[in-house]
Amino acid sequence: MSLVYNLFLRKTSAFAVTVMVGAVLFERVFDQGGDALFEELNRGKLWKHIKHNYEKKDDE
Amino acid sequence: MMCTAVRAGVLSPYFQVTKHAVKGLVSAGAKGPLPAAAAGGIRLAHTDIKIPDFSEYRRPEVLDPNKSSQDSVDARRSFSYMMTAGTLVVSIYAAKTVVHQFVSSMSASADVLALSKIEIKLGDIPEGKNMTFKWRGKPLFVRHRTQKEISAEEAVNLGELRDPQHDKDRVTDPKWLIVLGVCTHLGCVPIANAGEFGGYYCPCHGSHYDASGRIRKGPAPLNLEVPYYEFPSDDMVVVG
Repeated sequence: MSLVYNLFLRKTSAFAVTVMVGAVLFERVFDQGGDALFEELNRGKLWKHIKHNYEKKDDE
Repeated sequence: MMCTAVRAGVLSPYFQVTKHAVKGLVSAGAKGPLPAAAAGGIRLAHTDIKIPDFSEYRRPEVLDPNKSSQDSVDARRSFSYMMTAGTLVVSIYAAKTVVHQFVSSMSASADVLALSKIEIKLGDIPEGKNMTFKWRGKPLFVRHRTQKEISAEEAVNLGELRDPQHDKDRVTDPKWLIVLGVCTHLGCVPIANAGEFGGYYCPCHGSHYDASGRIRKGPAPLNLEVPYYEFPSDDMVVVG
């Protein structure tokens, strides 16, 4: 605990960097997690899930 | 520093009383009123004040006043700082998302962007001919120039021109001249392969443009406008 505090939070500069880097990482995780959840809830309904059914007809 | 100075000085009895009284407050905690009289026989006003109980607001580690708070400082400080940092991270993300939404709502939508480009097959245009297309609501001239026209336009002395611009600055591939078909005078559509210079001629007020779309004679002040375009392959041009 104190190691985290001393390394990342104690100095204002380090704190600001931590917050910025954290925001970038959080954005990635949150956005991708949200998309994954949406696709999981709508499995089989989205175009990319049913696209292959229609591509085969084009080839024939 | 000041404390030590004052304690040693004339005021020391008063400070001792204060110290004593405060000590009494702390040890008394929330239970019961102050001791009726403090040491030294000095009257203190409002000795019946009840000391408020803040233990509801205290963290469990510092509830006990007899325990040193230094033992738990790491955990409490890390918790406070991490909560602050976490809140900041989430609010930065939220602010960035809101700003991004508003800014991107100002940019053109995909259907508008799709209409803003035009693909032209160059193989359909024979040499020496001009074809007109509609691009962003305006006529677009694509001219397949002959070798003779190219060499003639490149040889033009810039000093003679009203809007001096070399031919190589107006074309990417000298064989293809691509200009907007809007006369720079009052916006009429010029006629291709007409006029005294073999390029374009505006029938409204008689502006003559050469085969590079440059104004040579008549009232128009500027050369025909060259839009942004690129050649993805040899026989295809994308304008826009």
